[in-house]
Amino acid sequence: MNLQIDNAMKRARGYWFVDGFIEIAMGILFIILAGFLLVSMNTSQMPLLPWFLSVTGEVVILKVASFLVVILILWWLKDNFTYPRTGFVRGKITLSQVFVIFKNLILFLLLPILGLLIASLLVTSTDSVLSSMPVWFPVGLGLTWAILIVLAGEWMGVHRFRLVGSAILLAGIGVGVWQLSMGLPNVPTNTPLTVLQSSTLESISRTLTSLDFILLICGVILIASGLVTFIRYRKENPTPYTEEA
Amino acid sequence: MSGSLQNLSGLDRVIHEPARLTLVALLSSVASADFLFLLKESGLTKGNLSVHLSRLEEAGYIKTEKTFRGKIPHTEYRLTPKGKSAFDQYRKSLGSIFNK
Repeated sequence: MNLQIDNAMKRARGYWFVDGFIEIAMGILFIILAGFLLVSMNTSQMPLLPWFLSVTGEVVILKVASFLVVILILWWLKDNFTYPRTGFVRGKITLSQVFVIFKNLILFLLLPILGLLIASLLVTSTDSVLSSMPVWFPVGLGLTWAILIVLAGEWMGVHRFRLVGSAILLAGIGVGVWQLSMGLPNVPTNTPLTVLQSSTLESISRTLTSLDFILLICGVILIASGLVTFIRYRKENPTPYTEEA
Repeated sequence: MSGSLQNLSGLDRVIHEPARLTLVALLSSVASADFLFLLKESGLTKGNLSVHLSRLEEAGYIKTEKTFRGKIPHTEYRLTPKGKSAFDQYRKSLGSIFNK
């Protein structure tokens, strides 16, 4: 009986993901970000560090702007497509949920730092951490995103997120292996971190390339998952619900 | 009568009915939901759903809100604090019965 109750509660929580629109929107956002980063990396004449600072600001503005646009589009789509077919649900934000969101956000920030600490324990020096950054960064990022997506999926009973999480993890490992196969930049030992050597810059630049690929692949994975979900939803609910139906 | 059987007889009968339990569980995870959502998710017929919703409303466990979405009248159902506490109590009782 308790399992039945849990399932009903999870179905209600995961209702926002029933039509695949959110995954498609998130996927498009990821691809826009990856495209922006790629274009910016290839066209900017600025040195890496000032470019990195300027691009970080631009990415934040782009994220906020596209997030607002996406919310408006999603709102319209839900109003005109989903709600007439399977009903309207108003989401619940309780204090405990806000706490969980904050906890997850902190985890999201802490996990990469934890990864960095573990990496620094496994490798001999800071220089090794820097030179191997193009490898461990995509793997760590893929792992973090995969864990978050799978956990969210379990909480909402959206089981396809297990597959999405696994695909993202594999993408992270794949990008890491690809970077490893190209060989690691040789960062000289005992270099003060304040002095950025060309090999360090190469390491940072390749890490950004890894990030770009991860964003692109994750975008494609999310869009694919969203499209499959949307097609299934459309098949199960071809027309809006009417009293006669 | 053993302790767990006493607990069983003390279960809230309004919530204990499977259809109403599903409705309360669905409503407990959202702020509110409309008739169509509850109809689709519960798998009940329209008549059955109306009866169960009325029963829950009579018990003070849910509240009906009539609004408009655009020009279309829209009815939303929301779990009241009394309904929420009854549901929590029911789950606790159920847990204690099966854990004994």
